[in-house]
Amino acid sequence: MALDKIKRMFIELANIARFVGRFFKELFNPPFEFKEIIRQCYEVGWKSLPLISLTGFVVGFVFTNQSRPSLQEFGATSWLPALISIAIIRALAPLVTALISAGKVGSNIGAELGSMNVTEQIDAMEVSGTNPFKFLVVSRVIATTFMIPILTFYSAFVGLLGGFLNINQNENTSFLSYFYEVFDAVDFLDLFAMGFRSIIFGFTIGIVGCYQGYHSSKGTEGVGRAANWSVVMSMFLIFVEELLIVQILQGLRV
Amino acid sequence: MSKADNKRSIILGIFVLVGIGILFAAIFTLGGQQNRFAKKVEIKAVFDNVEGLKTGNNIWFSGVKIGIVKAVHFRDDRKVELVLGIDDKSHEYIRKNSTAKIGSDGLIGNKIIVIEGGSTDVPPVESGDELRTLKGTDTEKMMSTLQVNNENLVGITENIRQLSQKVLRGEGTIGAALTDSIMANNMRTMMASLTQAATNTNKVTAALANFTAKLNTQGSLANELLTDTVVYSNLRAAVAQLQGVTQTASALTTNLGQASEKLNTSLSSPDNTLGLLLSDKATATTIKQTMVNLEASTAKLDENMEALQHNFLLRGFFKKRDKEAAKAKEAEEKAQQ
Amino acid sequence: MIKQHTSTIDYNDKVIDIHDVYKSFGTLEVLKGVDLQLFKGENLVVLGRSGTGKSVLIKLISGLLMPDQGTINVLGEQVDELDVKELQKLRLRIGFSFQSSALYDSMTIRENLEFPLVRNKRHLKRAEIDESVENVLEAVGLSQTINQMPSELSGGQRKRIGIARTLILQPDIMLYDEPTAGLDPITCIDINNLINEVQQQYKTSSIIITHDLACAKTVGDRIVMLLDGRFERQGNFDEIFDTDDARVKPFHDYNFID
Ligand SMILES: Nc1ncnc2c1ncn2[C@@H]1O[C@H](COP(=O)(O)OP(=O)(O)OP(=O)(O)O)[C@@H](O)[C@H]1O
Ligand SMILES: [Mg+2]
Repeated sequence: MALDKIKRMFIELANIARFVGRFFKELFNPPFEFKEIIRQCYEVGWKSLPLISLTGFVVGFVFTNQSRPSLQEFGATSWLPALISIAIIRALAPLVTALISAGKVGSNIGAELGSMNVTEQIDAMEVSGTNPFKFLVVSRVIATTFMIPILTFYSAFVGLLGGFLNINQNENTSFLSYFYEVFDAVDFLDLFAMGFRSIIFGFTIGIVGCYQGYHSSKGTEGVGRAANWSVVMSMFLIFVEELLIVQILQGLRV
Repeated sequence: MSKADNKRSIILGIFVLVGIGILFAAIFTLGGQQNRFAKKVEIKAVFDNVEGLKTGNNIWFSGVKIGIVKAVHFRDDRKVELVLGIDDKSHEYIRKNSTAKIGSDGLIGNKIIVIEGGSTDVPPVESGDELRTLKGTDTEKMMSTLQVNNENLVGITENIRQLSQKVLRGEGTIGAALTDSIMANNMRTMMASLTQAATNTNKVTAALANFTAKLNTQGSLANELLTDTVVYSNLRAAVAQLQGVTQTASALTTNLGQASEKLNTSLSSPDNTLGLLLSDKATATTIKQTMVNLEASTAKLDENMEALQHNFLLRGFFKKRDKEAAKAKEAEEKAQQ
Repeated sequence: MIKQHTSTIDYNDKVIDIHDVYKSFGTLEVLKGVDLQLFKGENLVVLGRSGTGKSVLIKLISGLLMPDQGTINVLGEQVDELDVKELQKLRLRIGFSFQSSALYDSMTIRENLEFPLVRNKRHLKRAEIDESVENVLEAVGLSQTINQMPSELSGGQRKRIGIARTLILQPDIMLYDEPTAGLDPITCIDINNLINEVQQQYKTSSIIITHDLACAKTVGDRIVMLLDGRFERQGNFDEIFDTDDARVKPFHDYNFID
């Protein structure tokens, strides 16, 4: 029984590896589905913007508010902008954006591809002379890989604005001096790390959602499972990746 | 292709453009602010100990940031060589005989390089020059200066103690002087001096009492900072003794007043032994001088305290103290009602 | 009611030739040595119980599944030996109408219909595409739905749109997977007529999978029956049911109780 489970797990892993391999193979093989990529970018990027902006703002505002007391203890509230800057750019913006997107975009991709699979739309696409992998999977993974970083920039910006609003209310810090302190606390490595990790997160969300949907079992409950697993698996992977990236960055920073 | 597609493409384009715009704005702000893109003149400075300074720390000249530390590495002789990247537009103000030292932008803030001095008749630094280095003032030094002040104060107190004993012993001499009649006027002058001294002592006592009071309200912190409770109790003792001195001095004055009255009535006796009195006058001057010294050192201590209070890290602590004091007061008032 | 002999069938031209095909999923053996020929211009009806592998058979023909054993020859090409590009080219000549219609949920009816054209005939002008879309829509009698979404249509309408979408490329072979399942009798008659019209108008050869004997009777030039993974019986409607086989008789009796 257990042996069977382990065997199935390895088969699943092999399938995932093959899926990722196929993605990279199809990625560089013309023809390219530009129109569909744009459509998916619009769906993933633009449609998520309000949600991401709102969460980014709330996270910035609340985080600032919650950090104040412990700095006040030392009379060091003047360090708040630096603290917020580091927290948002190094961790919060990429992570929060990725997790929210895993919930919104990942589940959407899983459910959409899952139901397309169940209702034979993927087969239909295949027999009407279109490569469904390229049309459905590659375009979506490209979209998440490029849009999640951009959403991360937005949410970082809005998060810093949220922090500013709170600091402005409490410490009367001016906009200029706030952003001066914000940018004094971080360096290029931080900015590039933010971009890099959000690209990784975006790719993860896309590929996991597509895999779950594309390989969902036939039947309606397969669709639900695909959506559910896309979220669970991509969130889990995002944390694992974050852990690894932090280790690598620590190595780079020394 | 269709209208909806066009609209989508436009919105997406704007979205992506603004997103990337945010990134670029961040990159340029960062670059501009940290002057990563500005042309740099690289000069060197060698230290025995850089106290944790790292690549990327700021360089200040007259309180203005003019560059960043580009590299930190050991030389063969185990000294630390720093490569300082000075902004091209600022380097002309740094002269070849300017000095560099390690400072910090707060009590436990980031380490910085502080460049100072340099005379205008010496040419500006060029790429590859090595600056002379100084040992910087650090927190430890500030603390030890404070300690020396305290020791001085203890010494002064000791002096006063001895002095007062001398004056006490001198009573006999003055008594003896009463039978003398020659220097009645001198005596008067001396008395005036003594009164003056007494007033001074009063003032110093007041100042010290004031200081002690301050130490009392923020006592535990002072204890922590000075890590020396002995100083505190010494100060207390000194104040008490000073008070003693004052009382003795005023008693002395009264006695002297009586003595002068006596003197007035018996002016007829002209032979006075005033040598001792004269020496007493000298003593009075010494007392006066001592008082001045004491006052000065008290003021210094006051300044130190003030400086500590203004340090931003400790500010919170003092504020908290004040708040607690206010609370206690409130509670008291309530209790009274 | 029985379909009259169609004169345009060319019995010398096998557009599909399946020989000794096996297909299993895990331990489940679905097809066990299937032989089947489809002649040019012929309507072939495949009967069989649910789960006997009818859908699997036509997925093998269109290359969606690969056989474990045996050969599948379609329009002169060996399906299991084609590379991706050749297969894609061959598929343009095969129309596949899915059991579940398989309309793209996220696209309008117009976008659904023009999808195969836009993606395969890139040289076509907008006006030409529009014209083809309108033509097939008219052929299935659903011109008014052009700007609706699939979710707004009934099952029968969707099925017809699905057929229209396969017709738009004017394929040489049509594969209908249960075109009349779950539809009312009048719609069924419409669809049966549509299948016959397509046969005559475009000279297509078709495989029609169905449980519906009325359908089989009206559209089938020849009927085959999938039993236990093999085609054991074939012939016209009357020949097929001229038996006491317990696996066959209920089909007829259920539909036509005297
Ligand atoms: N992709 C697949 N993976 C695993 N098993 C499959 C797959 N496709 C079909 N099967 C199995 O093959 C058998 C035949 O399926 P098929 O869809 O061909 O039946 P059918 O004859 O079309 O039935 P129906 O009339 O209900 O459509 C079923 O038992 C099904 O479970
Ligand atoms: Mg079927």
